[in-house]
Order: sequence, then structure tokens, then C-alpha cells
Amino acid sequence: MSGTTGSGPTGSGPGARTRIERAAGHAALGLLSLACLFPIYWIYATSLRAPGDVHDLSPLPWPLSLDNYADAFAKNDVAGMLLNTTIMATLSALGQLLVALPAAYAFAAWRFRGRRLAYLLFVGTWLVPFQVTMLPNYALLAQLGLLETLAGVVVPNLCSALGVLLLREHLMNFPRELLDAARMDGRSSWGTLWTVVVPVLRPALAALGILLFITAWNEYFWPAMVLQRSNSVIQLGLRSFMGTEGNDWGPLMATAGLASLPVLALYVFLQRHIVNAFVRSGLK
Amino acid sequence: MTTGTFVEVAPPSRPLAAGRAAPLPVRPGLFTRLVRAAPPYLYLAPGLVLLGVWTYRPLAQTLYLSFHSWNLAPTSPLTPVGTANYERLLATPELAASVGRTFVVILGMLPFTVLIPLAVALAARGVRGRAGAAYRGMVFAPMLVAPVAGAAAWQWLLDPSGGAVNSVLGTNTNWLNSTATAQWTIIVIAGWHVVGFAVLVVSAGLTGIDPEYAAAAKVDGASRGQITRWITLPLLSPTLSFLALMTVLLSAQWTFPLVDTLTQGGPDGSTTTVYYLLWEYGFRSHDAGLTAAAGMIFFAGFMLIAALLTRLADRAPREEGP
Repeated sequence: MSGTTGSGPTGSGPGARTRIERAAGHAALGLLSLACLFPIYWIYATSLRAPGDVHDLSPLPWPLSLDNYADAFAKNDVAGMLLNTTIMATLSALGQLLVALPAAYAFAAWRFRGRRLAYLLFVGTWLVPFQVTMLPNYALLAQLGLLETLAGVVVPNLCSALGVLLLREHLMNFPRELLDAARMDGRSSWGTLWTVVVPVLRPALAALGILLFITAWNEYFWPAMVLQRSNSVIQLGLRSFMGTEGNDWGPLMATAGLASLPVLALYVFLQRHIVNAFVRSGLK
Repeated sequence: MTTGTFVEVAPPSRPLAAGRAAPLPVRPGLFTRLVRAAPPYLYLAPGLVLLGVWTYRPLAQTLYLSFHSWNLAPTSPLTPVGTANYERLLATPELAASVGRTFVVILGMLPFTVLIPLAVALAARGVRGRAGAAYRGMVFAPMLVAPVAGAAAWQWLLDPSGGAVNSVLGTNTNWLNSTATAQWTIIVIAGWHVVGFAVLVVSAGLTGIDPEYAAAAKVDGASRGQITRWITLPLLSPTLSFLALMTVLLSAQWTFPLVDTLTQGGPDGSTTTVYYLLWEYGFRSHDAGLTAAAGMIFFAGFMLIAALLTRLADRAPREEGP
């Protein structure tokens, strides 16, 4: 990066060229950032205006007011929905980790008959869209009495193929000497998993856990199918609010803001980890 | 036979010569062998059982249902109808129209998942350090906004009376409620959700390219445009075809919550993609056989496209790579 050296006043030197290019890069990224952030900003800007100013288009909301939030809490059981969504997303993420970790461990630590087939079965889930399997799954949930329950949202999604494949990748790079040493010590494979593998894998597990939590929090299809009559998670509550109070923008933006707030707050604190987890999972 | 060796190792080489001289050791009993082979299967069992119950069993059942007539009520009987569901499906104009719209969605998403990210990532190669990290943080944020919250935000932005977009443009277009614009509006909103993610994926791909190649080409007198066209792009092609594959597989998924919350397939069916059609057949008309048949056709088409793209992605780097 030698952008500041050797620039000619005519702008023809290589340094000036680098500088122009870098300016173009800043412009491209800046414009895209603006386009990406503005709708999010507008949710919060609108929600923080006084109820009479909601249609005001000034870029900064002033005077600030929390009335729209009070209104949102009064119109819907937003607190209850947020609590339900938190429970649902936490149980999903934990359950998915508990299923994915042993499966990934099996792939990494053994060679066995059917290894490739098992791998393909996990990868293959990406080719089966939700809408192709929804009716039989709906019927099974009805038989099990899980319709309109949070368990009905969590249980069918407990096996995350993405989780298995990402952890498998991590475990493939796991120092083999550690596994060998554990075996020499006469430790069982189960003991090895919890005392040797998990401590080393903790950062990867944490990153994956956050990714799974965010995915579950934002999930739409399953809740929409399983909870057709009760709006007990925030995404569905927001949808029915959009349907019934369509143009009441202040409380609607307050609800939308609350529905996104936990994930965005996590993002502010763990930005780098979350971006890496998503891009890694994308590059898989 | 290497079953049951804890820790992946080279296949144990049986001492053949020794085995011929000395009598073979007594083969352990069936039970012992089963116990030794069991661990990997036990560790895999929870995941595989869940896949079986929630993915592959319903897939098979959908195939079965597609040859039957059923209205989803647990008490009503399934009547075998042969291929009648498929015939009925192919005779409805809705299906062809929704397949066409699904292709439009996929093509419309490609600028957001491939072209814009490629252009931005190429332009932004020189932006590093803190500024680069800050931009990355900002463009990625929409990916984390729940689809319904994004839908609500855009519904407000696009509101015909008083929404920010119309106010800035000085128009009063009802973007989501006119057949000419609804589909494109949905595409733009879905594009907004994923474009930043795609930029980061392309940037990661660019960082992974060894700068040696470009340096060598420069020594040979290649211009920057030539380097980009003949070195960077071919080396980036696995990343780009991954993004294209993702667009094909996921576009309809990304747009579904937006369609369901913003337009319900309308106006006049102009935003009804195959996914939304399946959803409507299943849960509005309660026509299980027809839904299943549509699902199977859709699944077959999906497999075909995915196989095709995977083949392209596999071949590209070998043909054009170093």
C-alpha cells in the first residue's frame, strides 16, 4: 500500500492511480453500506418519534419518545412473544449442537462402513426444500400433538446438517496426537469427546451456537406452519400485526425493532465472530 | 475391514505372511465384533434418526401421496388415483406461470448475489484495515434482520402515502400492489437482505487468491484489466458458482416470507412463485395429492439444476486454473 508516495500533480503517477482506485473502493462500499443500513435505521428512527410525528421524514427523530413502544406492548403481548422466541431459539441452538457434535466426531475419529453414505445423507438435506416435505411433517406433528407448541418448532429442526458439516471440518483439522494420547491413556471415546475434544473446540462451538441461535430466531417457515393459530413467537406476532394494524407505522416499527434487537445487539458485540461464522458456513 | 478403529489411521495391515505360518488368532465372537464396530454408529444415530424422521421419511411419503387423493384430515381415507394429480397439475396454467415467475426471481436475484458483490469486492480490494472492517460490519447487517422485520421496514419505506421512497422520488406508486412492480419490489427487498453477505463471500474468495499470479502476469506486461479478466475471475469462479448455486437453491426460500407477509402471492398472482403455490395448495386448498405432485416435480427440477451447476463448478477451476 504505497498510495501516498510518488504522486504527480497531473494525477498520472502510479500513486495517484492507487489513490483514485482506493477512493472508488470507498465510494462503492460507502454507497452499499448506506443502502444496507438505511432501512434498519429507519425502523428505529420511526419507532422513536412521537406518535404525531411518525409521518415526519426528517432524517433525525426529534423529539425522542418511547410512546410507540408503550403502544406496541399494550396492543400485543410483545414481552411474552420475545420470551417464547428466546426459549425456542436457545433450545434449538443447544439441541442442534448436542446432535451435531457427536455426529461430526463420528466422521472425524473413525473409519466405518457407510461413512460416505452417512455424509451424503447430511449433505442431501439441502436439496430437499421445506415445501416438499411440509405436508407429511405437518401430519406427523398433528399425530404427536405438537401443533401449536414450541416443541413442534424445535424438534423437527434438531438435526442441523450445516452444524454437522462445519464441526466435521473443524474436527478434521483436530490435532490427531491428542486423540491418540487419549486412547493410550485408556480413555473411552465418550470421555475423550468431553474432556479432550470439547475444550479445544470451544471457540468453534460458540461461533456455531450463535449462528444457530440467530437462524432459529429469524426462522419463519416452521413457526408459520406449526403455530398457525397462536402467534407465540415474535416473527408471527409481527406478521399478524402487519395484517391487522397495517398502517399504524409507529407501533409496527417499534415491534419490528424489538424483533430484530436481540440479534443486532449480539452482532454489535460479536461482530467479527458472527461474520466469520456466516461466511465460513457460506464457503462450505 | 477397518470398522471400529478409534482415530482414523491407515488401514491396519494384516500380517499376511505371519498369518500363513502361524494359526490365525481365534476370530472374536459376533457380539464382540458388533460392540467394537458400534461407537461411530451410536454417535451418528441421533442425527441420522432425526434426518430419517423429518427429511427422508416425508420425502418418500410425499412421493406416495402424489399418487393419492387426500384432504389432510387424519380421519379421511387416502384414495389411490394413479397419475391423476400430475395430469391435473400439468393442465393448470398456474403451475407454468409460477415456474416462470420462479425463474424470474432467480435471474432477478443474480445481480444481488453475484454481479453487485463482484463489482463492489473488486473495487474495494484496496480498502483494508479499520475502514474495511467497518464497511464489512455495515453491509452484512441486513442478513441478520429477520425477514418479517425487513418486510415491515420496507412496507413502511414504500408506503404510497408518506413512505420515504415515494417522498424522495416525488411519486405515489403503490410498489407492492401493482402487477408491474410487485415482483421486482420483492426481489429488491430479498436482494437487500443478502447482498452484503455475498460481498463478504466474494471478498473472502479474493483474499484467498495467491498474489503471485497477478505479480507474474504484471512482469509479463499484462494490464490490470487483463489480469482481472484472465487471472482473477477464473480463480474466483468456484466462489462465483457457489453463489450462483446458492441463488438457485435459496432464492425462492428468501422471497417466501416476503411474499407471505407483503403480497400473499398477489396482486393478481404476480408474486406467486412455485414455493408459494405449494404453500397455498397445501394449507389453503387442503389438496394433499396435488401439493405432493407439485412438490415432486419441483424437487426433480431442483436436483437437475443443482447437479448441472455442481458439475460446472467442479470443472471450471480445472479447465482454467493454474
